[in-house]
Amino acid sequence: MTSLSNASLYASAHISFTLSFVKNKITTSSTAEYFSKNLQQVGFSSANKAVLTTLKESVDNSLDACEDAGILPEISVEIEKQGAGTHKNTDLIRLRVTDNGPGLSPDDLPRVYGEYLASSKFGRGRASRGQQGIGISAATTWAQLTSTRGANIISKTKKMRKAVSGVVEVDIKKNKGVFKNSKTISWDRPHGVSVEFFFDGRLQLNGEGGVLTYLIGSSIVNPHLKLSYKINDDDWIVFERLSKHNIEIPPAVQPHPHTMKLGEYVGHLSLFGKAPFRNFLKKAFSRVSDQTIKAFVKNGIPKALLNKAANSLSNEDIKKTFSAIQNTDVMSPSTKSVLRIGEDALSKSIQRVGDVDFFSVVSRKPKICDAKPVVIEVALARLENSKEEEKSVTVLRFANRVPLQFDKSACAIVKAIESVNWRSYGLSQPRNSLPQGPYIFAISLVSPFIKFKNASKETVDGSNELVEEIRLALMQAGQRLARHIKREKKEAELENKRRHIEQFGPILIDILGRISKVPNTRLDKARKGLMKILGRDADTTAAQLKLAEKKQAEAKIKAEERAKKAAESKTKKKKSKK
Amino acid sequence: MSKNKIGRNQDIPKLSKELCLHMIKDLEKAKKPVLKALKCSLDNAFYDAKTGYLTPGEKQVSTELNVSSVQKMSRAIFYLEILLENLKSGAVRTKRELYYVAKGLCKHDKKLKPLDFGSQEESDSIINFICELIECYREEINCIANDRGGQTYSNNLVVTEKLLDGTKATVDLSSMGTSAFQPKNKPQSFTLKPKKSTKPKFCLIVESEGTANTLVANGFIKRNNAIVMGAQGVPSNAVRSWAKCISDQLKIPMYFFGDLDAYTVQNIYRTLKAGSAASLLRNSDFSCPEVRFLGVLPKDIEKYDLSDYKVDPKDPKDARTLKKAQDALNNDPFFKDKKNKGVTQILKWLLKHKRRCEQQAFIMVDPKDPIAIEKIILEKIKKGDWIS
Repeated sequence: MTSLSNASLYASAHISFTLSFVKNKITTSSTAEYFSKNLQQVGFSSANKAVLTTLKESVDNSLDACEDAGILPEISVEIEKQGAGTHKNTDLIRLRVTDNGPGLSPDDLPRVYGEYLASSKFGRGRASRGQQGIGISAATTWAQLTSTRGANIISKTKKMRKAVSGVVEVDIKKNKGVFKNSKTISWDRPHGVSVEFFFDGRLQLNGEGGVLTYLIGSSIVNPHLKLSYKINDDDWIVFERLSKHNIEIPPAVQPHPHTMKLGEYVGHLSLFGKAPFRNFLKKAFSRVSDQTIKAFVKNGIPKALLNKAANSLSNEDIKKTFSAIQNTDVMSPSTKSVLRIGEDALSKSIQRVGDVDFFSVVSRKPKICDAKPVVIEVALARLENSKEEEKSVTVLRFANRVPLQFDKSACAIVKAIESVNWRSYGLSQPRNSLPQGPYIFAISLVSPFIKFKNASKETVDGSNELVEEIRLALMQAGQRLARHIKREKKEAELENKRRHIEQFGPILIDILGRISKVPNTRLDKARKGLMKILGRDADTTAAQLKLAEKKQAEAKIKAEERAKKAAESKTKKKKSKK
Repeated sequence: MSKNKIGRNQDIPKLSKELCLHMIKDLEKAKKPVLKALKCSLDNAFYDAKTGYLTPGEKQVSTELNVSSVQKMSRAIFYLEILLENLKSGAVRTKRELYYVAKGLCKHDKKLKPLDFGSQEESDSIINFICELIECYREEINCIANDRGGQTYSNNLVVTEKLLDGTKATVDLSSMGTSAFQPKNKPQSFTLKPKKSTKPKFCLIVESEGTANTLVANGFIKRNNAIVMGAQGVPSNAVRSWAKCISDQLKIPMYFFGDLDAYTVQNIYRTLKAGSAASLLRNSDFSCPEVRFLGVLPKDIEKYDLSDYKVDPKDPKDARTLKKAQDALNNDPFFKDKKNKGVTQILKWLLKHKRRCEQQAFIMVDPKDPIAIEKIILEKIKKGDWIS
């Protein structure tokens, strides 16, 4: 049992401690100590990234808190430069995020803002933005390291008569949050949290790592969010919410038996103590029924083991049961845990990217990729009056409704875009590259188990299965776009033809008459003949345009019918639940 | 008929009028007029061993009047009217000037505004279209080009040119020192005669104008009763028709002296000797089938121990050259005809050995002798060391 116990220990402990060798003596460092020395791993690798990561972690926390409590989120962001930073080429940045969430009790404040891996969401199998409880503590650490100031917090829950304010600092040696200068104050809101950081950073507004790119991106994938922001001395900008329906938080699901490693399996098993092994199988995993257990037995789990206490299984039994489970076909995991933005909401929010003259939105049904549920949603928007025909399209990537802003080229989403032949949809595209033109491609990926390439969650690591699913969504959106482009082309062609008839017909006849010196009566006849010829041409194009319009209208009706059916089945499900 | 008409005695105004009448007839019947032009491309080119140049086949390009082509046709008819006016008045224009004539007319007449040209390329393509349509040379519609090359030197040649106003100009090339006589517009209208009692013994066309000039500066034409001409790369219309004119009128041997590489053999020499696919209509007047390839020959590299260079198939530029040479061997009727076996062998040798050698390399034979190249040229001519 010893070796397996160690394995489970390592697996469950993750990165909660590191070993360092000092003069042949093995010492243990705290998680906070590890991260304070490796902040680049969690998004603090440059001054620009520091601003963006601090903003991102604060806003993500606020959104998750509001959605958990069933509150329509209202978030305000203030960012300003306050002089020079302590490091070369940096500014002292003040960043404040205030929400209308449920608020945090004074006891929870130091844990949330000052303790690493203190999370309410870790391993719960939910598609929430935050997962491990690292990000916001890292932001506090960065502020502490660069400006010697922790996070200034104001918090008020519904139960509290007055708000509490104070400073949270990270006790790096002990990985503990410390709440200092605590005092009660009056606050003009019933509940919520306001967090303020002072730190070294550099403010980038636009582009891949820009804060505006992040804020606009967030508003696209969170149509229920009311977001106001103020940057430096500029006026407040407000994005009103486009949907008054709060996000329905999907239930957390138990892990699927095929997604576990042996070490995790052992750790999981030990939690069930003396409970029978059969109960462990049924309760610890999703998609395990009596029928499935029968199949496990067929594949090598001794029947006698099913009634044995979970903690009494020998090493050999554990290995045997684990491999029997892996060798049995188990129903794919449920897709209930993933959340869709929906075509309607996405259609409204995509218009926030600028003057959009056409958009195409696709929301795929949840699908299982690599034994994990995932939903892909795509919005393609064309910007009006943009002359950037030869520039690559702008790609907005989202994972669990959080914009991803760095290391674009390595991302599975970008790989999927590049793998589509956009030329067949009317866009220009250099070989193996992003398509070109004044388009915004927004792709959202939601899953409780997204594989990121790094802890700072900048790039999605995708299997072929996931890339293919994204590709399918893009192609669907591309087809809709192509129908529109085709119709536009036909329209332009017809217009062009009509213009040509009016412009060139009379000139051609006049000159022909001057060279050939024929009488006017013959020229009039020729003029009429020419109009007939050109008119026939224009009529053909008009008929083609009509057909293209008809096809587009049919596709629209079909899409509406699909949306209607989906809404009806949703209502039915709700009613049956009640 | 135009008083300035040259070449094949075509009545361009008459042809133009017939073309327009035909179009009007079709239009009266609400029938789409179709303009047919000769297809000037390699797939419609045939090599006639008897005449020695590339001739056109039966293929034609048809342009039917519809909404998409109405602009092109209107522009063509508009240009035709301008060109007919030029023929009538005797005005001569370059393509660039014609572009501005057209632009000017469109500027001053609002009705013509839709015909306006955005670039000279658009205008040039219409002029070429008209030439293909009525099967005439550009020069026949009084559109001339500033042709490069053809700088000619001789102490025994007198050129008489018939000018547009009907007068004549006579140029004695022996009186020009080291300056060159350069034919420009219509060498077909020149009359040549030797200054001395004996006509020149040969005409040497040198690929590099620089080398032609140094040969003359070092006394080539003083010592030899010959004509020296610089081709300056791929021969222009003027060079081609000038070479033909010399060959036809003086009936003397014509030699081409140039680099040993695929580009020279395939583009410069072939065009000079048999014309090109793009000028199928004009090859009868714009080629000199009698010209012989004097060198550099493959065997000269070994014989004279010349420095040569490697052609690298990995280099994109060289790879393109090699591909074009292979295409020429496969598709160009000139190289496919057994009459030109000698030149075809050179092209095959170049593809096989992937080497190239420049005409100036002959200097290495005796670097201190300023007339080393002259000596070798004369030796080769004397020994018949050339490919026909």
